[in-house]
Amino acid sequence: MDFEQSPDHFVGTARVGSSAPKKAPVPVKIIVAGGFGVGKTTTVGAISEISPLTTEAEMTAESVGIDNPGQATMKTTTTIAMDFGVLTIDQTLKLYIFGTPGQSRFAFMWDDLIKGALGGLVVVDTARIDDCYPAVDYFERAGLPFVVGVNTFNGQMNYSLEEVRWALAVRDDVPVLSYDARFRASVRDALLVVLDQALDKAIRARST
Amino acid sequence: MTYPDPDDPAHPARPSVRPFLQSGPMSAGGYRPTPGNEPPADDQASTLRPFVITSGRTDGADPDIGMETQVSVNHAAMPMRLSPEMRAIVALCGDPLSVAEISARLRLHLGVTRILVGDLRAAGQLDVHVLDNETPDPETIMRVIRGLRAIT
Repeated sequence: MDFEQSPDHFVGTARVGSSAPKKAPVPVKIIVAGGFGVGKTTTVGAISEISPLTTEAEMTAESVGIDNPGQATMKTTTTIAMDFGVLTIDQTLKLYIFGTPGQSRFAFMWDDLIKGALGGLVVVDTARIDDCYPAVDYFERAGLPFVVGVNTFNGQMNYSLEEVRWALAVRDDVPVLSYDARFRASVRDALLVVLDQALDKAIRARST
Repeated sequence: MTYPDPDDPAHPARPSVRPFLQSGPMSAGGYRPTPGNEPPADDQASTLRPFVITSGRTDGADPDIGMETQVSVNHAAMPMRLSPEMRAIVALCGDPLSVAEISARLRLHLGVTRILVGDLRAAGQLDVHVLDNETPDPETIMRVIRGLRAIT
Protein backbone atom coordinates (compact mmCIF):
# COMPACT_ATOMS: atom_id res chain seq x y z
CA MET A 1 0.00 0.00 0.00
CA ASP A 2 1.37 3.32 -0.93
CA PHE A 3 0.82 4.89 2.45
CA GLU A 4 3.43 2.54 3.83
CA GLN A 5 5.93 3.34 1.14
CA SER A 6 5.75 7.09 1.35
CA PRO A 7 8.47 8.11 3.78
CA ASP A 8 7.10 11.56 4.41
CA HIS A 9 3.65 10.25 5.31
CA PHE A 10 1.92 12.32 2.71
CA VAL A 11 -1.13 10.80 1.25
CA GLY A 12 -3.17 11.67 -1.74
CA THR A 13 -0.54 12.57 -4.27
CA ALA A 14 0.20 8.98 -5.21
CA ARG A 15 -3.42 8.42 -6.07
CA VAL A 16 -3.85 11.11 -8.67
CA GLY A 17 -4.17 9.53 -12.06
CA SER A 18 -5.29 6.16 -10.77
CA SER A 19 -8.42 4.61 -12.21
CA ALA A 20 -11.62 6.53 -11.74
CA PRO A 21 -12.96 6.11 -8.21
CA LYS A 22 -16.00 3.92 -7.80
CA LYS A 23 -19.25 5.62 -7.05
CA ALA A 24 -20.29 4.97 -3.49
CA PRO A 25 -23.22 2.55 -3.22
CA VAL A 26 -26.32 3.43 -1.26
CA PRO A 27 -26.16 1.52 2.03
CA VAL A 28 -29.30 0.11 3.62
CA LYS A 29 -29.41 -1.92 6.81
CA ILE A 30 -31.42 -4.42 8.75
CA ILE A 31 -30.92 -4.89 12.49
CA VAL A 32 -30.81 -8.39 13.96
CA ALA A 33 -31.36 -8.20 17.72
CA GLY A 34 -31.71 -10.72 20.47
CA GLY A 35 -30.15 -12.11 23.63
CA PHE A 36 -26.77 -13.80 23.85
CA GLY A 37 -26.50 -17.09 22.05
CA VAL A 38 -29.84 -17.00 20.27
CA GLY A 39 -28.24 -17.17 16.84
CA LYS A 40 -27.69 -13.56 15.80
CA THR A 41 -24.19 -14.18 14.47
CA THR A 42 -25.33 -17.37 12.76
CA THR A 43 -28.14 -15.42 11.12
CA VAL A 44 -25.79 -12.69 9.92
CA GLY A 45 -23.25 -15.23 8.69
CA ALA A 46 -25.83 -17.26 6.79
CA ILE A 47 -26.86 -14.36 4.58
CA SER A 48 -23.66 -12.30 4.36
CA GLU A 49 -21.38 -12.60 1.35
CA ILE A 50 -18.36 -12.08 3.61
CA SER A 51 -17.61 -13.80 6.90
CA PRO A 52 -19.19 -11.65 9.56
CA LEU A 53 -16.96 -8.83 10.69
CA THR A 54 -16.84 -7.67 14.27
CA THR A 55 -16.70 -4.11 15.39
CA GLU A 56 -16.30 -3.14 18.99
CA ALA A 57 -17.97 -0.31 20.76
CA GLU A 58 -17.16 0.55 24.31
CA MET A 59 -19.50 2.00 26.85
CA THR A 60 -18.12 5.40 27.65
CA ALA A 61 -17.88 6.78 31.16
CA GLU A 62 -21.00 8.76 30.40
CA SER A 63 -22.99 5.69 29.40
CA VAL A 64 -21.73 3.80 32.41
CA GLY A 65 -22.94 6.64 34.60
CA ILE A 66 -26.41 6.38 33.12
CA ASP A 67 -26.39 2.64 33.55
CA ASN A 68 -25.18 2.83 37.13
CA PRO A 69 -26.42 6.10 38.51
CA GLY A 70 -25.51 5.40 42.11
CA GLN A 71 -22.09 3.95 41.51
CA ALA A 72 -20.16 6.56 39.64
CA THR A 73 -16.95 5.53 41.32
CA MET A 74 -17.25 1.91 40.26
CA LYS A 75 -16.74 2.35 36.57
CA THR A 76 -16.69 -0.87 34.70
CA THR A 77 -16.01 -1.13 31.03
CA THR A 78 -18.21 -3.15 28.79
CA THR A 79 -16.98 -3.80 25.34
CA ILE A 80 -19.77 -4.71 23.02
CA ALA A 81 -18.90 -6.81 20.06
CA MET A 82 -21.24 -6.27 17.19
CA ASP A 83 -21.21 -8.62 14.24
CA PHE A 84 -22.27 -7.50 10.85
CA GLY A 85 -22.40 -8.77 7.32
CA VAL A 86 -22.81 -7.36 3.85
CA LEU A 87 -24.87 -8.37 0.86
CA THR A 88 -24.25 -6.54 -2.40
CA ILE A 89 -27.58 -6.13 -4.14
CA ASP A 90 -25.97 -4.44 -7.14
CA GLN A 91 -23.21 -1.93 -7.86
CA THR A 92 -25.23 0.89 -6.36
CA LEU A 93 -26.96 -0.80 -3.44
CA LYS A 94 -25.53 -2.64 -0.47
CA LEU A 95 -27.43 -4.32 2.34
CA TYR A 96 -25.78 -4.35 5.77
CA ILE A 97 -27.01 -6.72 8.44
CA PHE A 98 -26.05 -5.71 11.97
CA GLY A 99 -26.36 -8.14 14.85
CA THR A 100 -26.71 -6.31 18.12
CA PRO A 101 -26.99 -7.43 21.73
CA GLY A 102 -30.58 -7.18 22.86
CA GLN A 103 -30.05 -6.30 26.50
CA SER A 104 -31.49 -2.99 27.62
CA ARG A 105 -28.13 -1.91 29.01
CA PHE A 106 -26.88 -1.67 25.44
CA ALA A 107 -29.80 0.47 24.36
CA PHE A 108 -27.63 3.60 24.38
CA MET A 109 -26.26 2.56 21.02
CA TRP A 110 -29.52 1.53 19.41
CA ASP A 111 -30.53 5.10 18.59
CA ASP A 112 -27.54 5.33 16.27
CA LEU A 113 -28.06 1.86 14.94
CA ILE A 114 -31.70 2.09 13.92
CA LYS A 115 -31.35 5.51 12.30
CA GLY A 116 -32.30 4.91 8.69
CA ALA A 117 -32.70 1.16 9.20
CA LEU A 118 -35.20 -0.67 7.00
CA GLY A 119 -36.38 -2.88 9.82
CA GLY A 120 -35.45 -5.34 12.50
CA LEU A 121 -35.48 -9.06 13.09
CA VAL A 122 -35.82 -10.01 16.75
CA VAL A 123 -34.32 -13.45 17.20
CA VAL A 124 -36.02 -15.57 19.86
CA ASP A 125 -34.94 -18.74 21.56
CA THR A 126 -38.07 -20.31 23.02
CA ALA A 127 -36.05 -21.58 25.97
CA ARG A 128 -35.32 -17.99 26.99
CA ILE A 129 -38.10 -15.89 25.57
CA ASP A 130 -37.64 -12.98 27.98
CA ASP A 131 -34.16 -12.24 26.55
CA CYS A 132 -35.81 -10.51 23.62
CA TYR A 133 -38.22 -8.25 25.54
CA PRO A 134 -35.93 -5.17 25.53
CA ALA A 135 -35.43 -5.36 21.76
CA VAL A 136 -39.18 -5.74 21.15
CA ASP A 137 -39.90 -2.82 23.48
CA TYR A 138 -37.31 -0.66 21.81
CA PHE A 139 -38.36 -1.40 18.22
CA GLU A 140 -42.02 -0.79 19.12
CA ARG A 141 -41.26 2.55 20.72
CA ALA A 142 -38.96 3.60 17.91
CA GLY A 143 -41.59 2.72 15.31
CA LEU A 144 -39.18 0.47 13.45
CA PRO A 145 -40.89 -2.24 11.39
CA PHE A 146 -39.88 -5.57 12.85
CA VAL A 147 -40.50 -9.27 12.75
CA VAL A 148 -40.14 -11.80 15.54
CA GLY A 149 -38.14 -14.77 14.30
CA VAL A 150 -38.08 -17.88 16.44
CA ASN A 151 -34.83 -19.65 15.74
CA THR A 152 -35.62 -23.34 15.59
CA PHE A 153 -32.39 -24.99 16.62
CA ASN A 154 -32.64 -28.45 15.12
CA GLY A 155 -36.29 -27.89 14.40
CA GLN A 156 -37.08 -27.76 18.10
CA MET A 157 -39.54 -25.32 19.55
CA ASN A 158 -40.70 -25.43 23.12
CA TYR A 159 -43.69 -23.25 22.36
CA SER A 160 -45.91 -22.70 19.36
CA LEU A 161 -45.73 -19.43 17.45
CA GLU A 162 -49.11 -18.49 18.90
CA GLU A 163 -47.75 -18.99 22.39
CA VAL A 164 -44.72 -16.87 21.56
CA ARG A 165 -46.96 -14.13 20.21
CA TRP A 166 -49.04 -14.28 23.37
CA ALA A 167 -45.93 -14.11 25.58
CA LEU A 168 -44.53 -11.12 23.70
CA ALA A 169 -47.89 -9.36 23.35
CA VAL A 170 -46.84 -7.81 20.06
CA ARG A 171 -49.37 -6.07 17.86
CA ASP A 172 -51.31 -8.22 15.44
CA ASP A 173 -49.54 -6.72 12.45
CA VAL A 174 -46.11 -7.83 13.71
CA PRO A 175 -45.30 -11.15 12.05
CA VAL A 176 -44.12 -13.97 14.30
CA LEU A 177 -42.40 -16.66 12.30
CA SER A 178 -39.98 -19.50 12.75
CA TYR A 179 -36.77 -19.90 10.81
CA ASP A 180 -33.47 -21.72 11.02
CA ALA A 181 -30.51 -19.38 11.38
CA ARG A 182 -28.13 -21.94 9.89
CA PHE A 183 -29.70 -21.96 6.46
CA ARG A 184 -29.33 -19.17 3.98
CA ALA A 185 -32.71 -19.65 2.32
CA SER A 186 -34.45 -19.66 5.69
CA VAL A 187 -32.73 -16.44 6.79
CA ARG A 188 -33.45 -14.90 3.39
CA ASP A 189 -37.17 -15.67 3.76
CA ALA A 190 -37.22 -14.17 7.26
CA LEU A 191 -35.52 -11.01 5.99
CA LEU A 192 -38.00 -10.81 3.12
CA VAL A 193 -40.81 -10.64 5.69
CA VAL A 194 -38.92 -7.82 7.42
CA LEU A 195 -38.63 -6.04 4.07
CA ASP A 196 -42.36 -6.49 3.42
CA GLN A 197 -43.01 -4.71 6.70
CA ALA A 198 -40.53 -1.99 5.74
CA LEU A 199 -42.18 -1.57 2.36
CA ASP A 200 -45.63 -1.23 3.95
CA LYS A 201 -44.33 1.47 6.24
CA ALA A 202 -42.51 3.33 3.46
CA ILE A 203 -45.62 3.30 1.26
CA ARG A 204 -47.81 4.48 4.15
CA ALA A 205 -45.33 7.26 4.91
CA ARG A 206 -45.41 8.40 1.29
CA SER A 207 -49.19 8.46 0.98
CA THR A 208 -49.63 10.64 4.04
CA MET B 1 -6.49 21.59 10.03
CA THR B 2 -3.27 19.86 10.94
CA TYR B 3 -2.37 17.08 13.27
CA PRO B 4 0.87 16.57 15.15
CA ASP B 5 3.04 14.05 13.41
CA PRO B 6 4.21 11.50 15.92
CA ASP B 7 7.26 10.84 13.78
CA ASP B 8 8.32 14.46 13.74
CA PRO B 9 11.77 14.51 15.37
CA ALA B 10 11.22 18.04 16.63
CA HIS B 11 8.24 16.96 18.69
CA PRO B 12 8.66 13.29 19.45
CA ALA B 13 5.76 11.54 21.04
CA ARG B 14 6.53 10.53 24.57
CA PRO B 15 7.71 6.93 24.44
CA SER B 16 5.28 5.94 27.16
CA VAL B 17 2.32 7.23 25.18
CA ARG B 18 2.74 5.85 21.70
CA PRO B 19 2.51 2.14 22.58
CA PHE B 20 -0.94 2.66 24.08
CA LEU B 21 -2.25 3.96 20.79
CA GLN B 22 -2.48 0.42 19.51
CA SER B 23 -6.07 -0.72 19.36
CA GLY B 24 -5.33 -3.61 21.65
CA PRO B 25 -2.48 -5.22 23.51
CA MET B 26 -2.42 -8.12 21.06
CA SER B 27 -1.77 -5.97 18.00
CA ALA B 28 1.46 -6.55 16.16
CA GLY B 29 4.14 -4.38 17.63
CA GLY B 30 1.87 -3.43 20.46
CA TYR B 31 2.93 -2.71 23.99
CA ARG B 32 3.61 -5.78 26.03
CA PRO B 33 4.11 -5.34 29.72
CA THR B 34 7.10 -7.10 31.13
CA PRO B 35 6.15 -9.99 33.39
CA GLY B 36 5.55 -8.93 36.95
CA ASN B 37 5.08 -5.36 35.87
CA GLU B 38 1.63 -5.67 34.36
CA PRO B 39 -0.96 -3.07 35.19
CA PRO B 40 -3.84 -4.39 37.25
CA ALA B 41 -6.60 -5.85 35.14
CA ASP B 42 -9.13 -3.35 36.41
CA ASP B 43 -6.85 -0.42 35.69
CA GLN B 44 -9.18 2.46 35.11
CA ALA B 45 -6.99 3.80 32.33
CA SER B 46 -8.03 0.86 30.20
CA THR B 47 -11.53 2.29 29.91
CA LEU B 48 -10.15 5.39 28.29
CA ARG B 49 -7.31 4.02 26.25
CA PRO B 50 -9.06 3.74 22.85
CA PHE B 51 -9.98 7.39 22.99
CA VAL B 52 -6.38 8.53 23.49
CA ILE B 53 -6.30 8.49 19.69
CA THR B 54 -9.10 11.04 19.61
CA SER B 55 -7.46 13.26 22.22
CA GLY B 56 -9.95 12.00 24.72
CA ARG B 57 -13.07 12.91 22.79
CA THR B 58 -15.77 10.30 23.21
CA ASP B 59 -18.66 12.22 21.78
CA GLY B 60 -19.16 14.90 19.20
CA ALA B 61 -19.07 12.38 16.40
CA ASP B 62 -20.73 13.76 13.31
CA PRO B 63 -24.38 12.60 13.35
CA ASP B 64 -24.16 12.16 9.57
CA ILE B 65 -21.67 9.35 10.08
CA GLY B 66 -23.53 6.13 10.73
CA MET B 67 -22.11 2.64 10.82
CA GLU B 68 -23.12 1.86 7.26
CA THR B 69 -22.17 5.29 5.89
CA GLN B 70 -19.89 5.01 2.89
CA VAL B 71 -16.55 6.77 3.00
CA SER B 72 -13.98 7.24 0.26
CA VAL B 73 -10.76 9.08 -0.35
CA ASN B 74 -11.03 12.60 -1.67
CA HIS B 75 -8.60 12.31 -4.55
CA ALA B 76 -8.36 16.06 -4.87
CA ALA B 77 -7.26 16.51 -1.26
CA MET B 78 -4.13 18.44 -0.44
CA PRO B 79 -1.46 16.21 1.06
CA MET B 80 -1.11 16.59 4.78
CA ARG B 81 0.51 14.93 7.73
CA LEU B 82 -1.73 12.43 9.43
CA SER B 83 -1.56 10.18 12.45
CA PRO B 84 -0.93 6.49 11.71
CA GLU B 85 -4.54 5.61 12.41
CA MET B 86 -5.77 8.28 10.04
CA ARG B 87 -3.29 7.21 7.38
CA ALA B 88 -4.58 3.65 7.70
CA ILE B 89 -8.17 4.82 7.27
CA VAL B 90 -7.29 6.86 4.18
CA ALA B 91 -5.36 3.90 2.74
CA LEU B 92 -8.38 1.61 3.17
CA CYS B 93 -10.86 3.91 1.50
CA GLY B 94 -9.56 3.93 -2.07
CA ASP B 95 -12.89 2.34 -2.91
CA PRO B 96 -15.94 3.33 -0.89
CA LEU B 97 -16.15 1.48 2.40
CA SER B 98 -18.53 1.63 5.34
CA VAL B 99 -17.51 3.03 8.70
CA ALA B 100 -18.29 -0.33 10.31
CA GLU B 101 -15.92 -2.11 7.90
CA ILE B 102 -13.16 0.41 8.60
CA SER B 103 -13.64 -0.17 12.32
CA ALA B 104 -13.56 -3.95 11.92
CA ARG B 105 -10.61 -4.10 9.55
CA LEU B 106 -8.41 -1.72 11.52
CA ARG B 107 -9.61 -3.07 14.86
CA LEU B 108 -10.42 0.44 15.94
CA HIS B 109 -13.33 0.97 18.25
CA LEU B 110 -16.44 2.13 16.47
CA GLY B 111 -16.66 5.38 18.40
CA VAL B 112 -13.01 6.14 17.70
CA THR B 113 -13.47 5.37 14.02
CA ARG B 114 -16.45 7.69 13.73
CA ILE B 115 -14.55 10.55 15.32
CA LEU B 116 -11.46 10.03 13.15
CA VAL B 117 -13.57 9.79 10.00
CA GLY B 118 -15.29 13.01 11.01
CA ASP B 119 -11.90 14.69 11.49
CA LEU B 120 -10.67 13.44 8.11
CA ARG B 121 -13.84 14.70 6.50
CA ALA B 122 -13.36 18.12 8.11
CA ALA B 123 -9.76 18.10 6.88
CA GLY B 124 -10.98 17.39 3.34
CA GLN B 125 -9.17 14.05 3.11
CA LEU B 126 -12.28 11.88 2.95
CA ASP B 127 -15.63 12.15 1.24
CA VAL B 128 -18.48 11.03 3.46
CA HIS B 129 -21.41 10.04 1.29
CA VAL B 130 -24.41 11.35 3.16
CA LEU B 131 -27.74 10.10 1.89
CA ASP B 132 -30.29 12.62 0.67
CA ASN B 133 -33.21 10.92 2.35
CA GLU B 134 -32.72 9.36 5.72
CA THR B 135 -35.62 6.98 5.50
CA PRO B 136 -35.49 4.49 2.64
CA ASP B 137 -37.98 5.00 -0.15
CA PRO B 138 -40.25 2.20 -1.47
CA GLU B 139 -38.27 1.89 -4.71
CA THR B 140 -35.04 1.18 -2.84
CA ILE B 141 -36.79 -1.37 -0.63
CA MET B 142 -38.22 -3.07 -3.73
CA ARG B 143 -34.72 -3.34 -5.17
CA VAL B 144 -33.51 -4.98 -1.95
CA ILE B 145 -36.44 -7.40 -2.05
CA ARG B 146 -35.70 -8.34 -5.67
CA GLY B 147 -32.02 -8.72 -4.87
CA LEU B 148 -32.71 -10.97 -1.89
CA ARG B 149 -35.18 -13.10 -3.83
CA ALA B 150 -32.50 -13.67 -6.44
CA ILE B 151 -30.08 -15.34 -4.04
CA THR B 152 -30.28 -19.02 -3.38
